[in-house]
Amino acid sequence: MTDLKQLRRSLAVLGGIGVVAVVVAGCASSSGGGSSKSNSKGPLVIGASVSLTGDFSDSGKAVKRGYDLWASTVNANGGVLGRKVQMKIVDDASSTTQVVTNYQNLINKDHVNLTFGPFSTLLTIPASRVAKRYGYAFLAPAGGGPDVFKQNLDNFFFVQPAPTTQSGNVFANWILSLPAADQPKTAAYAELDDPFSAPIAESLRAKFEAAGIRTVYKQVYPAETQDLSPVMAALVAKKPDMIIGGTQSNDAYAQVKSLVQLKYSPKFMYQSNGANDPLNYPDKVGAKNTEGIMSAADWFPGSTAVGSAAFTAAYIKAYGGTAQQVDDSSAEAYSVGQLIEAVAKKTGKIDNATIIKSLHSGTWQTLLGSLSWSANGSPSGEFNLVQWQKSALVPVFPTTIAKATPQHPKPNWGG
Amino acid sequence: MSKALRLSALRGAAFFGLLAALPSFNLAHWVLNMLVFTLMYAAMSSAWNLVGGFTGYPSLGHAAFFGVGAYAVALWFQHHAIHSGYEPFVILPLVGVLAGLIGLPVAAVAMRTRADVFAIVTITLLFVAQTLAFNLHSITHGAQGLSIDPAPFSPATFERPFYYVLVGLLALAMGITYLTIKSKVGLSLASIRADEDKARGIGVRVSGLKLLTFCVSVGLTSMVGGVWAYYEGFVYPQFAFDPLITISIVLMTFLGGRGTLWGPILGAFVLELSQQNLAYRLGGSQFYLIAYALVFLLIMLLLPRGILPTIQDRLRYRRRRAGAAEGDDRPSAPAPRTAAAKVAVGGGERA
Amino acid sequence: MHAFIQGLILGLLTAGVYALMASGQTLIFGIMNVINLAQGAMVILSAYISYQLFKSFGIDPFLAIPIVTVGMFVIGVAVQLLFLRPLKREDRAELSLLVTFAIALLIEGIMSITWKTNYRSINTSYANSSWTVFGYQITLVRLWACVLSLVALGLLYVLLNKTRFGRAVRATVQNPESARLLGVESDRVAALGFGLGSATAAAAGSVYGLLYAFYPGSHYDLISLLLSIVVLGGLGSIGGAMVGAVVVSTSSAIVASTISPAWSAMTFFVILIVVLVVRPRGLFGSTARGAI
Repeated sequence: MTDLKQLRRSLAVLGGIGVVAVVVAGCASSSGGGSSKSNSKGPLVIGASVSLTGDFSDSGKAVKRGYDLWASTVNANGGVLGRKVQMKIVDDASSTTQVVTNYQNLINKDHVNLTFGPFSTLLTIPASRVAKRYGYAFLAPAGGGPDVFKQNLDNFFFVQPAPTTQSGNVFANWILSLPAADQPKTAAYAELDDPFSAPIAESLRAKFEAAGIRTVYKQVYPAETQDLSPVMAALVAKKPDMIIGGTQSNDAYAQVKSLVQLKYSPKFMYQSNGANDPLNYPDKVGAKNTEGIMSAADWFPGSTAVGSAAFTAAYIKAYGGTAQQVDDSSAEAYSVGQLIEAVAKKTGKIDNATIIKSLHSGTWQTLLGSLSWSANGSPSGEFNLVQWQKSALVPVFPTTIAKATPQHPKPNWGG
Repeated sequence: MSKALRLSALRGAAFFGLLAALPSFNLAHWVLNMLVFTLMYAAMSSAWNLVGGFTGYPSLGHAAFFGVGAYAVALWFQHHAIHSGYEPFVILPLVGVLAGLIGLPVAAVAMRTRADVFAIVTITLLFVAQTLAFNLHSITHGAQGLSIDPAPFSPATFERPFYYVLVGLLALAMGITYLTIKSKVGLSLASIRADEDKARGIGVRVSGLKLLTFCVSVGLTSMVGGVWAYYEGFVYPQFAFDPLITISIVLMTFLGGRGTLWGPILGAFVLELSQQNLAYRLGGSQFYLIAYALVFLLIMLLLPRGILPTIQDRLRYRRRRAGAAEGDDRPSAPAPRTAAAKVAVGGGERA
Repeated sequence: MHAFIQGLILGLLTAGVYALMASGQTLIFGIMNVINLAQGAMVILSAYISYQLFKSFGIDPFLAIPIVTVGMFVIGVAVQLLFLRPLKREDRAELSLLVTFAIALLIEGIMSITWKTNYRSINTSYANSSWTVFGYQITLVRLWACVLSLVALGLLYVLLNKTRFGRAVRATVQNPESARLLGVESDRVAALGFGLGSATAAAAGSVYGLLYAFYPGSHYDLISLLLSIVVLGGLGSIGGAMVGAVVVSTSSAIVASTISPAWSAMTFFVILIVVLVVRPRGLFGSTARGAI
């Protein structure tokens, strides 16, 4: 009697676990039959996992806007090889576990035809490995930290002009092109400890130290640092001519805010990221305080690269605002789509093997200029130097793309 | 072999038989992928239950040992090559022992405090561990993280080795739990949970026992961490030492029923599967977080002791009523001699 | 030396705000034996509310404090009635950790939907004003924040020591059983006490929004910070929370400005662990139940 009840009880437990397993398995078989739909008919489904919540959500949403915008633009022109593009964008909450699950689901559950990359190096690495396993080309508009390329994946393409660590080189080129008397004598570095920000500043530091510019201060601060004033106070005490911020977004704003409060304006100021965000930067640091600050960008308002005018017009039509407020992360994401279109046009085919093979040879025109890749997916171009002048972000170097001459020394805070 | 023993053996065999057979149903990769993450949490919840459920020390620092395991595997394979793909699994026992040894002094210090203070000391240790991983650049590469070569398994069956190793770890954790419950150790742990000072008074070797339990528990946790690192292929401090891992484990154990053999596993299956699915489906909208929080609150308010104990109480209550009606000769529960014994009896029956 | 003193000044000015947040948390623990993991989320929620008031109506965050405080008091009472009162007394301490964490997630979810997930900051006209005193920088906002927090803590002190409600609260903290025998309605005290704890979060949150940029996930950083402060000072002791806030805030600011911000969190974690191992009840926690 009791035995029977105990058995029933244990069956209930097992049943509970079993039901869950069966439900999962059921989902598997119900969508298992869809694997054959990836042939040339029907829409071209493209999957991407983007951080819509969590630490990277600001940039993640800009990436999503770029993907969506490209899809609607290409669909308005009849799609890719006659197939309508359908974006399936899911959220990874800035978590590595979820990003693996998401690409697994996109590839093996929803059987998307192509995959586009997430935002951030932290997420790109695990995601690109999942894509590699199933032979998917992996075009990432963001997340080009050094470790991404060390993986030597042949399916991976970083859709920016240069690996992230080298994005600051253009600033060094400009500084070192100045007459010796105008060059800064001392420099201070404040760097965010993450896989893509600190390395940019470190790469600059190596170049400047080699050129004889003395480092008077260097500090790496952790990502969760809320209060940068102790760091900036110590930095200001060294009175550097030039301040280099290896920044991401919020910390870039905090650096400027602290410097304004400390009433210290250096002759040169460069921030690797954050300062190139035309939408949020003036809002967060005060439009007047932006004057003279430099950063690097691959795309900028008024760029003459292929499709730029159409992109800008479409962006404003879809999301409002002005050309000045278009985030370059959106342009990078849009460029990923442009590459797909270009491959389809050139080869007449749109499958992963063709994309991988095609992109490894030749140069390709995008919003970001012409791009080409080495075997590990690292691009071989240069970024552009941009500067805030009269509350607008303008390209100032190299001279081939410059719309204004770089201004130095940087004016005092508040213009 | 007693009836009860035969029954648990049957139950265990059925469960692990099902788990072992699942991959051969040709499940899709994404299902196996989800099961891999679910098994990780099931094994860790089961391990946590030894300390948090049976001994009554609510450790919030287990994720620190998950991270230790992840980094141990990642660091080892900076200097050793992966050929067959099974090498990381082979060194897992070493990783477990290492974490256990690290856990020993930690427990010796932390377990001088109790309950809420213990919870806070352990979560602080987790933050200390994370800070060290960030700041000891020369060893851990700091925020740059550590890469592990991808496993050379065929894409068609890529998840299976991970899956089976995790099934093994889960079996190990549950086996240890089962033996604990059935032996004098379980009774002693329950007495520590009920009243540590009294337990010491009646001759339970309190210090040694709780240290041992902690070390075994964190050793198991670190092995799961090692598998996770290999599966993801990359470790970063913020993901390897993640407070949310700790919180998930605790939540799963509470949900299923702490201090029971099957509760943590049930909790892990329900929560991890629903979380991964909810995040994938609803993640784009923020309603995922709200849905998760509401489910969580409802469970805590309606089933404060967890699913299994609540169901069992219900059943026991019905049986008692039925027993009263039929004049059943079996007493519903033997009169407990001490508070400790009462908990132990409860724990044993719940298993 | 300059960096050290600058760090000390910053730390002391920030300590007031932390003390205010932590006093609410320690009060809630004292009254109900509940460790409130949602205190950080309440602080961020208050920061958002005052952000919205500033943006929509141009109300200065300092002047918005009374409005936000009343709002958060009501929310706090509601949370206690809905989610904490139903818990059984014997497992309240354990379960409250999980329940309040779930409440924190719920608040985070609501904030993410209402205000999206990007960083916000309240930029008043005086946000960047500062004075230089003997070569040290003192920002106006920080000074005001500190003064205001001290005023709020003073009000809290008066409330707890000079009013009937305050006496009931203190009686409950010292001995809930005898307080009940003496006619204190412990359920009512608990609800009002939780409301009061949330109200301190409201005042602190408005100030927090002025000092730092925030997003819905900011509350995770506050959880460990607040726990360290209240545990360091001794759970249930408001005076202890103030001392804890000063220790945590100055030690981390000094380490950040003299050594590296990378080690600043480590500093107070180590202090915390040492204190707890030597004195498991914290610096000012009594071995019996807490005293306010």
